[in-house]
Parts: sequence; C-alpha cells; structure tokens
Amino acid sequence: MYRLILFASAAFAGIWLTAQDLPKGFPKPRVPADNPMTTEKVELGRYLFYDTRMSVNGKSSCATCHKQELAFTDGLAVAVGATGETNPRGAMSLVNVAYSAVLTWSNPGITTLEQQALVPMFGEHPVELGLRAGDGFLSMLGSDAKYRELFERAFPADRDPFTIGNVTKAIASFERSIVSARSPYDRYHYGGEDNAVSDSAKRGEILFFSRQLSCFRCHGGFNFSGNTASERHAAGELEFHNNGVSGAPGLFEFTKDPKDAGKFKAPTLRNIAVTAPYMHDGSIATLDGVLSHYAGGGHNNPNKDPLIAGFALSPQDRSDLIEFLKSLTDEAVLHDRRFANPW
Amino acid sequence: MTFMTYTRPFTGILLLAGLSLWLASAQTTAPTTAAAELTIRGDVPETLVLKTADLTQLPRETAAVTDQDGTQINYEGVPLREILKRAGVPIGKDLRGKSLASYIVAKAHDGYQVVFSLGELGTDFGNESILVADKRDGKPLFGYQGPLRLVCPNDKAGARSVRMLETIEFVRLQK
Repeated sequence: MYRLILFASAAFAGIWLTAQDLPKGFPKPRVPADNPMTTEKVELGRYLFYDTRMSVNGKSSCATCHKQELAFTDGLAVAVGATGETNPRGAMSLVNVAYSAVLTWSNPGITTLEQQALVPMFGEHPVELGLRAGDGFLSMLGSDAKYRELFERAFPADRDPFTIGNVTKAIASFERSIVSARSPYDRYHYGGEDNAVSDSAKRGEILFFSRQLSCFRCHGGFNFSGNTASERHAAGELEFHNNGVSGAPGLFEFTKDPKDAGKFKAPTLRNIAVTAPYMHDGSIATLDGVLSHYAGGGHNNPNKDPLIAGFALSPQDRSDLIEFLKSLTDEAVLHDRRFANPW
Repeated sequence: MTFMTYTRPFTGILLLAGLSLWLASAQTTAPTTAAAELTIRGDVPETLVLKTADLTQLPRETAAVTDQDGTQINYEGVPLREILKRAGVPIGKDLRGKSLASYIVAKAHDGYQVVFSLGELGTDFGNESILVADKRDGKPLFGYQGPLRLVCPNDKAGARSVRMLETIEFVRLQK
C-alpha cells in the first residue's frame, strides 16, 4: 500500500510517450511522486548516462555496459567495471526498465531506478563506476558549462542542483523514457497488422503461451517479464525463480534463506535477440542454447522451479519459437536518436 | 544360416523419411491454432457445437478488464450462462438440489483445463458473469488468445480465463 501511495499517479507526458509509441491498452510507466518526468531531466540524464567522467578513472559510463544498439546490454557474459573488475552477473537491458517492479537480478530491496543508480556509481563489491563520496565528481559537474546549463534547467528551484540525489533523479528519468512498444510483434498483436510477423513467429507465439512450454508463466504480460508495475498497477508479490542455471547465490545473497539460493528475477524478453549471451551469468551463448536448456529441464537442484521440467521440441517448434522471440526486437528503440549519445 | 542385412536404397530412403515424419509428429508439442467452435458436452441432453458465427446471434455483452500486468482490455462475447442454458445445463431457476453438485470443465486447445461450479455461475448464487469472448478491443481474438476464450472479470489472477477455449464439459456428481 505504501508503494501505491509513493508511486501515486504522475503524468508521464512530454516527448517520450505519444499515441504512436504506446499501443492501445498498454499501461503507462509509474513515476515516483518526488521525481516527475520533465524533458529537461531526461536530457540531463542522457548526458550523464553517456559521460565517462562518471567513473573513477574516466574509462566507463553507464553506456559502457548498456549500449543502445544491444538494447542497452553489452554483449558480454558478465559486466566489467571501470577498473577491470568483473561482475558476477551480466548487464541487464534497460529497455522498458520503467516497468520493472524490482531492479537488478535479485535484490528485492531495490525497487526504484533512483536507488538502483547508486549501485553502479558507488558499489564496491564489485566496483562498477567506482565513484566515491568527495571524489570531485560533483564539483566537476558544477564547473562544466554544459552541465551548469543542464542542471539549472532540470532543477530550477534548487539553490545547489549539483547533488547525488539530482544525478540519480536525472539518470532515472532518462532510463524511464526508454520505452519499447513498436516491435513487429506489437504491430501484429496490438496493431492488428497481420503481416507484421511471419507465420513461423505466429506458431512460435502459440508455443510460447502453451501449457506444455509455459514460457509465459515467468516471462508474462505485455513486457514478457516477471513482476511489472505501472501507473495504475502495483507490483504485487515479487517473484524470483531458480531456472536450473547453477552456481550463483541469487536471492540468497540478500535473504540468507537457503531456499532462495539460485533465484533470480525473470527479465524481459523484449529485444532478446540482440542481448546475447543469456542468463544471469551469460553462460548460454544463443537463443537456441537457451531453448535446449529449458527443453532439457536445466540442472536439477532443490530450489529449481517446478515449471522447469523439460519439454519436447521438434526442429520446427524450435525454429518457430526463435522466430517469435526475434519478432520482439524493436529496431526503433535500438536506433532512436532520443536515446543516443548526445556528446 | 545368414541374416539378410542388405536393404535396397529406395526402401531405406522411404524408411528414413517415414521415421523422420513420425519423429517430427511425435515431438511436436502443440499443433497450431484452436478450432473456431465451442463444444458443450458431458451430462447435457445433447452435445452442442457452436461455431464462432453462431455466437454473433446470441445475447452479447462486453467486459472491460485490467489484466494482471495493468493492460486495459475490452472484451466482447456471449455470457457463459447463456451458452450453458442453450445446452440444457440447469443454470437458472432450475439450479437447485442435486444440480448444485455439478460443475463444468473448460478445456483449452493445449489441454489446459479449469473447473467452475454451477453454484458460482448461477444468478441466485455466486452470480459470476463470465464471458465467452470472441473479440478483444473490437477485433476478433487470434493466435494464442482465440478464436474463443473465457474472461472472468472478477478474478484477480488470469489463470481461469482460459485462452484457446474449445470444449466445455458438464459434469453432474449426483444424478
């Protein structure tokens, strides 16, 4: 209930979501009451997102691990921080991240993008961007003419707008603006364009939503993901799954409950064809490999989700499912100049 | 004594082709789309088969629902009660006594099935307005949704709103 109040309906107006962007019935993203969307904040966030000065050694920015052409992932099995330290998990897509009820792979305590931004900025285990309090990052922003202009526009009421809180608000606003709803699948399913996807993709869609495969049970709804939250829809009880990929603590890291070992959230499958390699540890290189993993039932362990029980898949089924997954790629969001590097 | 090990090439090709076809059909998890008709069978006077075109001739209603993920959808179709009534299922004033110990099984094309008791559907009891929908936002249901599906507007979860609905079976526990 608290969350409902916190995320009280706030207008998601402006340039980001127009009638062309969102199909009929598609929910509007939620926006925290204390960080309403503005064009100016989104623009500032975009500059910060692409600025390597946001790292300890000037080598990395948010965009280093979240590349637009890869649906804001990095193509690596696991992410690599500014200092070269590897993250145990892969960089997640930021497309439609505004709808994610919980951020990161498995931390149930991070439910807003403003909170999440602090993890790569200041996290030490592992080091991602490697910023530290008092390291001169804020004064750099204040001494840069472009940022002075951007911050003053984005936070006109603040006497000193150069704060970490405002940095995270701006980055979160930019991330919330990255909405994908224009894939061939969307044009077929919501737009009534029967020819937008192939017959193979249509067969694959039926398989995806079938009782036998039950892919939709974890990757469900308009976002083909686990829990979503939107303007008029609260998140509900958060779900994490052990999908039979072994060797990582997952939710256990935060709850210390052995039953949570190896449990992760189900990420969105939108744009999945461009976000290889797959799984939280990047251990599967291709979509075909992912299908083989689920068809085989994954690695048995006491926490494995009962839904990961294996299924039979003919070569035609396999090909149809992959065609369906490819139909979720929104080329527009991968090339939209509004989300590109402004520098 | 020798065993014949030689197989003529053409026969071999035929055998291989047959085997591949059999394997392909055996491994295929689900055929394509669901039938464009609804069959009501079981403990009814006579099995009733309604084509999708037949549904346009029956009383129709709409239901505006918010999906589990917040999507707003307008469904249109025929109230399940109307269909059951036409099949001879006791769902109105005749829903009493032994009839209250009966239920329906809604079955989907892929084998998924859920149960509703007649009591929860009857107007004098649960009075649940469940829809057999054939349109979503004004367009015919297609793909994994249709051609027919149930819509249970008062359910919080969507699992009883059976997609690709093909059969409704009426079961009396006491006859």
